[in-house]
Amino acid sequence: MAASITHPALSSLYKINSNINGIYSLISFNRRISISSVRSSSAVATETEASGRGVRGQRRSKRQAGEPRSERMAVDQDWTAVYPTAASFKPAAVPLPVRMGYPVKRGVPPAKKGNLELIKIPNFLHLTPVAIKKHCEALKQFCTEWPSALDSDEKCMKRFPIQVQSKEFVSAGLSLRNPDARIVTLKVKLSSLNLDDHARKKMIKLSEERYCKDTDTLTITTDSCPLRKQNYDYAMYLLTVLYHESWKTEAWEQEKTRADMEEYEWEDSPSQKKVLDTLLRMRALGAKDEVEEGTREELLGQPVVQEYRDTMLRLKNEGETEENLHKYKEAVKKLFNI
Amino acid sequence: MASSCSQALGHHVFKRSRILQIHLQKSWPNRSFALNSAADQQLAVSSPEEIVIPKKKTWSKEAVLQALASTVKRDPTASDYRFQDDPYLTPKTSSEFKLFSLSQESGRNAAKYFINTYPKYFQKDYAQPHIPCLMPDSLEAQIEEESEAALVERVRMRKVRAAVDLFDQLQQAGTPVSLDVTNQLLDLICLYGDHDPTQENVPEQRIEETEDVQDEPQAKKGRGAKASDLLKASWKENNNAERIFALLSEPNAHSYSAVIRGMVKYGAHSKAFSFYTDLLNSRLKADVHTFNALITAAPEVKEKYNEKWELIVDLLKQMAEQKVKPNLLTLNAVLKALRRCGTVGRSQAFPVISEMKSLSIDPSLASYTHLLAIFYKPGAPVQGQTDVLQEVMNEVSGKSFSPQDPDDALFFITAMRICLDTKDMEQAYRVHELLGVGENWRLLGKDFQQNIYYARFFSLLCMMENIDVMLKWYRDLVPSVYYPSSNVMRDLLQALDTDNRLDLIPLIWKDIKQLGHANRQNLVEELLTLMAREKHNQEVQESFAECALDIKKIYDTGDRGKVLLNWTAGSLNDLISVLLAAHRTRDAWEMLKLFKTHNRVPSEELLNKFLVCVKEAGEVNQAVELVQISAGFCLPGTPKLIQRVLQEFELTEQQRNMLSDLEIQSFNSD
Repeated sequence: MAASITHPALSSLYKINSNINGIYSLISFNRRISISSVRSSSAVATETEASGRGVRGQRRSKRQAGEPRSERMAVDQDWTAVYPTAASFKPAAVPLPVRMGYPVKRGVPPAKKGNLELIKIPNFLHLTPVAIKKHCEALKQFCTEWPSALDSDEKCMKRFPIQVQSKEFVSAGLSLRNPDARIVTLKVKLSSLNLDDHARKKMIKLSEERYCKDTDTLTITTDSCPLRKQNYDYAMYLLTVLYHESWKTEAWEQEKTRADMEEYEWEDSPSQKKVLDTLLRMRALGAKDEVEEGTREELLGQPVVQEYRDTMLRLKNEGETEENLHKYKEAVKKLFNI
Repeated sequence: MASSCSQALGHHVFKRSRILQIHLQKSWPNRSFALNSAADQQLAVSSPEEIVIPKKKTWSKEAVLQALASTVKRDPTASDYRFQDDPYLTPKTSSEFKLFSLSQESGRNAAKYFINTYPKYFQKDYAQPHIPCLMPDSLEAQIEEESEAALVERVRMRKVRAAVDLFDQLQQAGTPVSLDVTNQLLDLICLYGDHDPTQENVPEQRIEETEDVQDEPQAKKGRGAKASDLLKASWKENNNAERIFALLSEPNAHSYSAVIRGMVKYGAHSKAFSFYTDLLNSRLKADVHTFNALITAAPEVKEKYNEKWELIVDLLKQMAEQKVKPNLLTLNAVLKALRRCGTVGRSQAFPVISEMKSLSIDPSLASYTHLLAIFYKPGAPVQGQTDVLQEVMNEVSGKSFSPQDPDDALFFITAMRICLDTKDMEQAYRVHELLGVGENWRLLGKDFQQNIYYARFFSLLCMMENIDVMLKWYRDLVPSVYYPSSNVMRDLLQALDTDNRLDLIPLIWKDIKQLGHANRQNLVEELLTLMAREKHNQEVQESFAECALDIKKIYDTGDRGKVLLNWTAGSLNDLISVLLAAHRTRDAWEMLKLFKTHNRVPSEELLNKFLVCVKEAGEVNQAVELVQISAGFCLPGTPKLIQRVLQEFELTEQQRNMLSDLEIQSFNSD
């Protein structure tokens, strides 16, 4: 994008340079001619011409600037009529004592008249709040009414979970087209899709960096096609394919081992076995008989064990933070009644 | 550089989010996934709240721009949009306005000429999407061989002479030219009156013409009369159109129509009627444009008002017989013809309009222009017919018109002229209001007409309105749309005088200087007289004095050694009395010397005023000098002056002697 803008700018500079060169060469050429004509005896004609030109030059310089029109402006004038569109700074049309530029010798910055610094910078004199209000009022006729049922953001997200974004560019250049206008960005929250645990995990795996864990959003950006419509269709196709792929369970997915898991699982983990074992032993002090399924469920269902499980999961999935370790310690203490 | 910079900044980004509806079917076993953006009906059934998604709106390509443009009103301080908004470059006088706009236009033409002459250098198409008018037009005919296609091409490119030459060559070669193409050629010849259209590519045409001169000596005449040709090219006997028409074996209605319209356009009126008789004789039907042309020509061929009208009625009846439906231009042609029918016009104008309304033709502004012109003859005394203008204004008020007839552009200046003639301020306001409705400003006409319109409006304001309202309009119109002439400025000064607002004169003087009227002797003198006439309060006198000194500068500095204004006794008197009133004795004293250098004689009244001033200041020497000056001019009032000085001042002996000497001298000269 940046390249495509700087390119014409550079080329125009180049053109100006070449023009200046051309003018210089012309001037020097003229000078040479005039010198030679003065040397030659028939210099009368050129002299009269030169004098004529001089008079004309004087007359030019006599043309005086009228008073700036900001002097005539009424206090309650309609500013939007003075600056209706984006335009470079016009000192005569802006009734403000603006100053800008490098202050010479501890003075004040130069005033607005003939100040190049003010022309260089972009101004927003055409985008006053009044102007924007007027524009909005004028553009209302092109808008459709917002559906009254969709009065909150939550409802919007619920009914219309997919968000599609594209950009329109307006420029005062030679071309109306902008290559960036073709890019389409599609966003959807995974929670709004109809996924089970397996499908969800598979989808996250498949979408890689396109999934943001913090906001639970999947973002698909398509820019490979030349037209926006094509990119939009492609984004929709990608979403559909992702969805269906994640629901499929391939044969090799059964070979998934504990090491392949995305997160630590409590069920059948060594930790669970050990807790069960220890608890059984603790009980054995009292009644060391039957080890049945019932007691196992009962033991694991104890709130102390549940707490231990939660801290364990947090420790494994979220990492060993101080807080997690502390909680783990508390849970272990409770478990063993220490 | 700056432009490319703004280009980069001009990339405003509009984000458009589209929220799509995703409808997930709950049928679990199928696990089907339906993505449906228009499934609101299904949703409506399933959900308690119905979401009505509105239909997408469509509009024309310019609609948004037009809507945004409608928010912008006229800026009363800005000049025309064509000019650079810079105090150096905006035109300040009407001549500058003309010069600047014409030079801009000629620059544009020059660029266009170069692009069209050297199209090979301008082939790169920068614009996306393509803008056809930016690309060079092909001026040279592409098809070289003699064929009908080449003829069609030349007709399309409006090369009258080349097309006629080619037609002749085709005839000589015996190649038949179809009736359709011949009719197109006739249309072209008749439109331009057998001359090449002149406004485009002037240099190239000159080359062609010199070639022609070499070829045939006959063309010399045409070249000499070229300037007048442009103004009133007339229909020549047996010109190319008639010649080609005669070559046709079976001319159809189109051929007749072309020739008749050409004849009417270029003033061969009676011939047009004889061609019309031919057309009827060959059992053909004329079209509506032919009738329009004939109605326009009708007043030219008859002498008496009644006969003219009868001929028009006859033509209209023939239209009805031939079942030709009249259009707006027919109505306008009839009304325009009625302008030249005197009293018949007045009686028939309203029946014509009501007839047309019953045919469901809406009158355009041109119709109303003709109507007004029928009832209000310029220069003729007003005969209590203000009600016609009022009725017309009632009819058109608040309507937005589109250009339909070339005469539409005359409405505003005609209406304003009538308002000025009848001194009808109320109607003038209504006319001006109508100008602001919709796109009506487009119908104001060229710059020249625009100036006339505003001049009339402004003169009327000067005459009829009180000074505050008038100044409001003055600030609104001058100088953004209207550059008043020096006469109008004098009207303005007179209006200031009648309403006792002379304190505004310094402001008006500033504007006069801006508008380039500072070198108008009588305007400046009038201004000085008005300032000098009455006494005002101190503040006003001060500003008057500043203004007077400013005026003096204009007198002093000539343009390139040429003196713009000449001092007259009156202007010097006025100027000095203004300065004296502001107690600027020193400036006044210097001015007094100018009487001598310019050989003008001061008035006694002025010298008396001066003496009063000098006395207030207590300058004895100046008083004596004043008397000397007075004696130098041999004014009859010198003795009185000497008496006053002797009585009112404390003089030294030497001065007394000198004064008595002067008294004796003046006595002797008497």
